Amino acid sequence: MMDDLENEFGLKEEREGDDDSSDDNLSKGGRKSHLPLVNLKTAESSKKSDFHESTRICLERIRKAMLHHRWQEAAKYMVSFSQVLEETNRSKAPQTIELVWRISTEILHHLPNSTMDDYNIIYERMKHSGVRHYLTICLEKSFHLMLHGELENARRELSAGESWRYGKESASQHHNFTLIHAYRSLLDYIIWCDKKSLQSTHPNSEDDQSMHRYFKQAAVNLREVLKKPGVWDPFILCYIEMLEFYDDHEEALKILNNYAYDHSFPPNPNAHVYLYQYLKRHNAPEKKLIKVLKILQVLVPSHELMLEYISLLLQSERTNAVQKALEVALAMLDFKCWKRNLDVWRHLKAIIQQMQTQENCQEAVVAVMDQRKDWWSAFHFTSMHATQDVKDNPELFEIKSSLAKVLYPDQTLKYTAGS
Amino acid sequence: MDEEETAGFSEPCSQCSEVNWRISDEGRFYCHSCHTAIERTRDVVDLDFSQGSSRISNVSRGPRTKKQDHGVSWSWCEGFQFILQQQAEALIRLGVTSDFRDSTLWPLWTLYLQRSGQAFNDAPSRPSNQGAKSDSDGEEACQFYSVGGSSVPESGCDWSDWSGSFSPWRRRSHSEVMTMCKTLALIHVCVLWNRECVTLSHLLKLVRGGHVPFLRASELLPDRMKFVGKKALMFNVKSFPSHRSVLLDAQHLVHFLQLPVFPPISREHPLHLMTLTLCYLMDANLPDQLHQWVCRVEDLSQQGSASSTLKDKGSAPFPPPYDLQAAALIIVTMKLLFGLDDHTEWDLSNNLEDQSADVFSLRRWYRIVHCALLRAQNREEELTARRHWKPTVPMARTDKERHLVLKRKRISEQVQSCFHRLSSPPCNLVTSDGPSIFSFCWGDGASSDGPSLHHQTLTHTHTHPVYWHRPLQPCNVRRCTGGHFLSDEASLPRSFLWLLQLFSFLLRVSTAELHQETLKLERRVFGCRTPSQGGTDALQEPQRKKKVIDLHNKSL
Repeated sequence: MMDDLENEFGLKEEREGDDDSSDDNLSKGGRKSHLPLVNLKTAESSKKSDFHESTRICLERIRKAMLHHRWQEAAKYMVSFSQVLEETNRSKAPQTIELVWRISTEILHHLPNSTMDDYNIIYERMKHSGVRHYLTICLEKSFHLMLHGELENARRELSAGESWRYGKESASQHHNFTLIHAYRSLLDYIIWCDKKSLQSTHPNSEDDQSMHRYFKQAAVNLREVLKKPGVWDPFILCYIEMLEFYDDHEEALKILNNYAYDHSFPPNPNAHVYLYQYLKRHNAPEKKLIKVLKILQVLVPSHELMLEYISLLLQSERTNAVQKALEVALAMLDFKCWKRNLDVWRHLKAIIQQMQTQENCQEAVVAVMDQRKDWWSAFHFTSMHATQDVKDNPELFEIKSSLAKVLYPDQTLKYTAGS
Repeated sequence: MDEEETAGFSEPCSQCSEVNWRISDEGRFYCHSCHTAIERTRDVVDLDFSQGSSRISNVSRGPRTKKQDHGVSWSWCEGFQFILQQQAEALIRLGVTSDFRDSTLWPLWTLYLQRSGQAFNDAPSRPSNQGAKSDSDGEEACQFYSVGGSSVPESGCDWSDWSGSFSPWRRRSHSEVMTMCKTLALIHVCVLWNRECVTLSHLLKLVRGGHVPFLRASELLPDRMKFVGKKALMFNVKSFPSHRSVLLDAQHLVHFLQLPVFPPISREHPLHLMTLTLCYLMDANLPDQLHQWVCRVEDLSQQGSASSTLKDKGSAPFPPPYDLQAAALIIVTMKLLFGLDDHTEWDLSNNLEDQSADVFSLRRWYRIVHCALLRAQNREEELTARRHWKPTVPMARTDKERHLVLKRKRISEQVQSCFHRLSSPPCNLVTSDGPSIFSFCWGDGASSDGPSLHHQTLTHTHTHPVYWHRPLQPCNVRRCTGGHFLSDEASLPRSFLWLLQLFSFLLRVSTAELHQETLKLERRVFGCRTPSQGGTDALQEPQRKKKVIDLHNKSL
């Protein structure tokens, strides 16, 4: 037992003169060996005041109430917990503020009688309590306002956040600033859209100018924001729409290309989709379209734009286009979502038909089917699939059964009706 | 000036329904007819956020720093005097005789002021303000000194001759400045001197329940009384004092004031040890028959302490804590009768042939009391969670700090009012149960905590009890703060620990203090020396020592 050992070592001095034949482990010559026992004094001396005890228990009760969705009870305890904001020891102040902010907003979300004013009080007070959370709370408040349709107020809030500076704190939160700039520009865009629709019904030169002003404000920020690596899908769409309206195609293409091809950005299939759609809108040559879709195919073989890709390839006169189309189509059909889609099978049939006019059709098919033939029969061509297809989509059944012979020339599959 | 600032506010007062607002010195609105203060302050004018204003408070009109009223600088003892007055009045409202305030508290307070050099001296340590005080506060102050007659110690009190001895090595380095904890110590000394029926644990329980003012004491002071610097922070505490610290402060105070021996407490008095044991037995729902065993253990301990080198109780300047001793007596008695080593007591309950309602079964008692204890602890925890520590008007040391402190107070108040509005039904401050000495109510009533077991008989107890004891450790008596409980706790039997926790809840003291008192009692009962005092006692050896007690044959 611990106590016995302690006593043994403590009283060792008294027993030194006596027999030391049994004390083999203890050192001779009077050196006291101390075991590294836990110093219990430190545990006792780190005493917290009863005020801290009160707030700790209060927080525990709030936590339990929130976990059990007893929001009224949590609100009741928050009345007492708010005194923790008056704590004189400021070392824990940022954590306390964050705690109060997050708990309060969560409770307000769930109370039926909470009003916008209550949210405003909490956000404003917490924002101005300390400096560390100013920008984050600013963002959250503006999101909240946006969700409740108060776009003007949200925009004003973000503008206030943009102009906020506080030495080291603001310097370290540049990602928050980026988000604030981005969302403010988004709100500028929304206002621009509203003005645009107004313009179309009641043209007005004054509105035209303010529209342009909003565009300029948004453009300045967005250009900077879109240079930074990240996923900026909604923002880039707004920007492109505005640029298209003002016929700035060069800038638009530059932005889109950068977004799609810059390696410092995370791989984003949507970037290629947006580029493709833009090029298509502006009647770009087929070669360019194919080039864009080629990369998309590698990223997302099951994308719905693959159908367009196949059509483009079939129309092109390049030598290996049909082969490529076959690969793309089969890759699409590897995925469950396209399994029973008539369009894909039709395209596949068209591909096979085109290939049969060329030579070496069979070898080409075998080469592509090689990697998938062992599992494709169970995936597409079982008797169960047959009965289902016959019942739901007879045309699909016809196409599939005709293709079955081509894809599996050696095997006889069970894909027959009435089995 | 007030009119133009309050012009915008035209809500009727909640107390007298009039619209007659003025602004106090702190900037708070108050009703001039009935002097009720409300939460509205001059600084915060516009709480409207819907316009999206990022600044919430406007710059207040009027100078930011105010001149001090009357050019008077208040001393701490004047503030404490107000607080002591309020505390005494609260006790008198609860049933203590007003004699305790008039003939004990004020004379002792004036003695303290004289001894510490604050007043009643030829050269007091602070500038005399007697002439400047012409307002009602000064009149009140003068009244205290005139009541009770013996404002100067020489007149007719027998405090000048002090024959008690005081162990010098128990003295801590105390400063002469009063603290909130010392107000309780002073009250306790006076109560004890007057032999009022309030033990220290009861007093602390009343303080925790809010029946005796202690928290946010700065709110008790009149508005005009402003303190600067460190003095400002003296009145608002962050913790309740422990039983032990108040006791030590009281002992020091008695030594400092050089008081003589306390008058003895007669057997019939409610504060006597045996009466307290009856009281706690009732509160713990234990059968009345247990009391005779408790008396026998007490006799054993008297014999034990008579033969030891401990000082005679009669000559000690300060009586020992009878409340802790009473609880320790009951615990040791239970340990003797039932073993409480996690096996014996349950075996005894199992072996009871007669399971009727008249025979005491420890298991049944444990179940009833444990349920009630859990409920009571839950209520106590809720009270702790919702206790408000921060005063309405916060104190700060400097003006710069004051600005920050007020800002934080505003923030906290607004969050608080926001949730107060949202929580329905509107929550009020939870008040503890009434100022009763008892924590539980046993009986058949609807609001009782459980059935009463006081009438039951004890039939089955230890026939040849073997008394277990934890091995003692040698420690330096001078430096020991009694913190052995932490290391012992894990190895104590759970039944014993539960009993300790029950009584520490009943008395509202810490389990460690009660455990220490139990150890002291065991030393007295079994006639052992403490290890540091040397001696040939077998408890020095690092083994579990078992002593066979034969209570039934012990002759008294």
